[in-house]
Amino acid sequence: MGQWRDFDWYLLGLVLMVSILGVLEIYTSTHGTRFAGAAGRQVFYIGLALAVMFLFSRISYHRWLALSHWLYGVCLLALAGVLAVGQTIFHSRRWIPIAGIHLQVSEFAKLVIIVVVARYCSELRRVTWLDIVRLGVLVGLPMALVALEPDLGTALTYAPIAAVGLFLGGLSWRQGAALLLLALLVLPVGWHELKPYQKARLENFMNPSTDPLGRGYQLLQSKIAVGSGGFWGQGQGRGTQVQGAFLPVSQADFIAAAYAEERGLVGVFVLLGLYFLILMRLLADARTAPDRAGGFLVVGVAVLLAFHIAVNLGMVVGFMPVTGIPLPFMSSGGSSLLFLFAALGVIMNVHMRRLVN
Amino acid sequence: MAGNAATNGNPIRRAWLLQALLLGWALLVWGRLFALQVLDHHALVQKARRQQSRLVKVHPERGLIYDRHLHPLAMSLQVDSVFAMTRQVAHPRAEASALAGVLGLDSRLLLARLRAAHGFCWIARKITPDQSRRIHALNLPGIYFQTESKRFYPKQRLAAQLLGYVGMDGKGLGGLELSLNRELAGRAGRELIELDAHGRPLQIVERMPQPGRSYILTLDQNLQYVAQQELDRGMQATHAMRGAVIIERPQDGELLAVAGAPGFNPNHLNRASPAALSDVAVSDVFEPGSTFKLVTLSAALNEGLTHPNQIINCQMGAIRVGGVLIHDHKPFGDLSVTQILAQSSDVGAIKLGLRLGKRRLYRYIRAYGFGRRSGISLPGESAGILRPPPQWSGMSIGALSMGQEIAATPLQVASLFSTIADNGVYHAPHLLLDNFSGALPAALPQFLSSPGRRIVRARVAEQMRMMMEQVVLNGTAPQAQLAGYTVGGKTGTAQMVMPGAHAYARNHYVAWFGGLVPLNNPAVVILVVLENPIGLHDGGTVCAPIFHRIAERILPYMGVPRDLPLQPGLSEAGLHDPPADFHPRTLAASPSAFRREAEQARKLLASLARGSRPARSPVPAGTGNSSIVLDYSSGERLPDWTGRSVRDVAEDCQRLGLDPLLIGSGLARRQSLPPGAAVHAGERVEIDFSRSPATSAVNSASPIPPAR
Repeated sequence: MGQWRDFDWYLLGLVLMVSILGVLEIYTSTHGTRFAGAAGRQVFYIGLALAVMFLFSRISYHRWLALSHWLYGVCLLALAGVLAVGQTIFHSRRWIPIAGIHLQVSEFAKLVIIVVVARYCSELRRVTWLDIVRLGVLVGLPMALVALEPDLGTALTYAPIAAVGLFLGGLSWRQGAALLLLALLVLPVGWHELKPYQKARLENFMNPSTDPLGRGYQLLQSKIAVGSGGFWGQGQGRGTQVQGAFLPVSQADFIAAAYAEERGLVGVFVLLGLYFLILMRLLADARTAPDRAGGFLVVGVAVLLAFHIAVNLGMVVGFMPVTGIPLPFMSSGGSSLLFLFAALGVIMNVHMRRLVN
Repeated sequence: MAGNAATNGNPIRRAWLLQALLLGWALLVWGRLFALQVLDHHALVQKARRQQSRLVKVHPERGLIYDRHLHPLAMSLQVDSVFAMTRQVAHPRAEASALAGVLGLDSRLLLARLRAAHGFCWIARKITPDQSRRIHALNLPGIYFQTESKRFYPKQRLAAQLLGYVGMDGKGLGGLELSLNRELAGRAGRELIELDAHGRPLQIVERMPQPGRSYILTLDQNLQYVAQQELDRGMQATHAMRGAVIIERPQDGELLAVAGAPGFNPNHLNRASPAALSDVAVSDVFEPGSTFKLVTLSAALNEGLTHPNQIINCQMGAIRVGGVLIHDHKPFGDLSVTQILAQSSDVGAIKLGLRLGKRRLYRYIRAYGFGRRSGISLPGESAGILRPPPQWSGMSIGALSMGQEIAATPLQVASLFSTIADNGVYHAPHLLLDNFSGALPAALPQFLSSPGRRIVRARVAEQMRMMMEQVVLNGTAPQAQLAGYTVGGKTGTAQMVMPGAHAYARNHYVAWFGGLVPLNNPAVVILVVLENPIGLHDGGTVCAPIFHRIAERILPYMGVPRDLPLQPGLSEAGLHDPPADFHPRTLAASPSAFRREAEQARKLLASLARGSRPARSPVPAGTGNSSIVLDYSSGERLPDWTGRSVRDVAEDCQRLGLDPLLIGSGLARRQSLPPGAAVHAGERVEIDFSRSPATSAVNSASPIPPAR
């Protein structure tokens, strides 16, 4: 096996640069608040996640594919367990306390779904409607469990993995168009058919109750923060929206707004460039994957990252409603980092094996 | 295996679509970022400013109000106000009940307010230091304090109507606090407080407030206190509805005291009835009644239409004016003009008014300041009610001559007395001595006042004063007599016009008394008015005693030297009564003495003829042998009068048969002939008096004391 020299140092470098920007931003936005210390914890998690990444990079990705049934079963059990005994934080149960770390099972589920989808789609030659339904059920089950936590935002991140898997797995254009049409028809009708209290509940799903003043408030504050940044930004630690805590819990889902306020358009350009390079690198890795399943694994991770970035930034600039979707590598949070770096580890393994065959 | 993967349908084959979608999305986000961060940047920064900072007005320290001796009458205290940042209030119910307990509020209402508030909520404004201490001790989360300025009136009710009051936001709402609000308030400072989302201040940018100016009033807090106390006593004794006392210094129109009743305590404004807040002395109008005869008579004298001793037939108490029969309050026959004033004969006054005619009477009324505002620096000053002659009815001239068909503020009536006291010169009444910014100045500038406006000749004013003395001695206001001081005055009793109806109310009266003391060069004018006293209601019986008590208390305090000898045995018997066995020749000594004694003699004779002794003995004990028969042949030696009272000097002159010209009041400072000079009866001597040695030179320069 190609040792360290075959490691994708370029990808790791890009990811670490984003992570460092994240740590700096977490530091300035939590400095002097009750979240102070989050930056230190983030550094700790990054270290831990790097270890997990190196560990995963030593494990052949074929093993994951082979274990996919077991992984799927454990994942479902864990999600059900969360519903049963998980700790309630911010009015939703997502956490299982393990060894003093709050592990978010739904993050772990993302990885499992990537593996499951990669395995399933890589074995397809032609996509039948039955395949679509089967994959739908496979992914729909954990989605439903996560949505019940309730964490609809995270649940929704599973869907694009399946969709892209099907698409790349050979979904015909007709099938694709039909599915898209179905989705476009069902969603508004379904929304319309909901009773007002159900809509309110749905909005509650979408809007984790960390926000006391309603979704509009966070979105508005985010827009103000981004706009206040201007071209050059207000400078590290000078963002009044962030420093004044107008942007609630800005080190988490709204870290891009805090970043945009302090670093301005120029800073956001740098950040988006880094993400662009990361995604391009992942697609390149997918192309050079030793086999179809490996390519699907890498693409699955790339799709998940892209979806997170797109939805999170869309929310920060006010395109999309508030959902609890963090910005990869930047937002504070141990589970998210551990999952992301674990996924990177799997990709590293794919990358290292590119020349094996 | 790359070729194999491609032939097997490498999943990346279709990735271009994903890339295109991502690129499209990235462009959208970029466009949006550009719009927010470049195009809308300024608008959004403004928005951020607005929510991140509060512009708080900082009320500057309001100026103080002092009396003339720099005793503070109105000052500002720093007190705490309590407010809640409702999002930080963890247990609204418990906190509301704790706060309500300390502040004496309804805890349910407070809780409702806390719950209804969006972030910020005042709990209570301007609480007491004790309440503040107790709430501090409770140490409740989300409860904060702000220091605010509260107006405090250390003398409580003293001069409350004059000073006025200040609203919760520190704005003057009545009295001087209102009329001088701009100056007292100063310019508000601005505090830009940058807040975080929880309303906690992050940074404070301060622009210093400009403190208000402080004012020194002409008031003397001691005089004000006496005036208010005696007015209150009078109000209680007579059950009057409203009342006012004005003490004015006639030489320059400075108001030494302005009391109104019912008063209020500006420190407890919520307990004051709205009616009590208005300033009776300047805002309320009353019919001046017989006090107004001073206008009629002084005008007639000034126009040379009569003289004090002219006898006028008062037609046994009835006169027809403009077809209306006007009855006197008492039937009088022939009265001298002096007696008309002393007895307050309506018919006599009307006859003099008729001599003046509409135009001239109106001119004098206006000149004395009736029917227009004095311009005193108080809000809501009334001009009174005075119709111009074209609107008069046939009987109006009669009514006006005796003080009806006109309404005047107590201040206007006080000015009338002051004008006569200051030898016919009107000085606009005023309250403000000086003002300054910041700390008390080391030295106050010389107080200057307007030179005044001559209304009647000095001689006429002097005659008026002599006649007014008769009001006190032999007329309607014997209770105004003072031990040790000569007094001139005039009573008034007006029936009140029924509100809404053009008719006089039967049992509603306004009682007046205005007095000048001492007579020759009055140090003060004291005006007393009571509205609707119950029972006895004429000015002489209800107002003159108030005047008496006030004058008795304030004159020694003011250092006004007595101009009559104070003889304890005499005080009850009538101080002004001269010895019965006066020498005829001494009568010429002083016109006033002449008239006084002639009247006394006539009275005595009349009482003897009726076989009864006068109520007050004209021959006081111990004075029987004091009369001196002058020897024409030998010249007398002029005594040294320096430091002697007017009364002493007048008596000496009487004894010596001299014709004295007594100028000023107080103690003698200068005499036109040196002590020891040989003088003969009938010779003219000028003696200057003054109340303090410092002003003697000024007073001696001119017979009329110059306006200071």
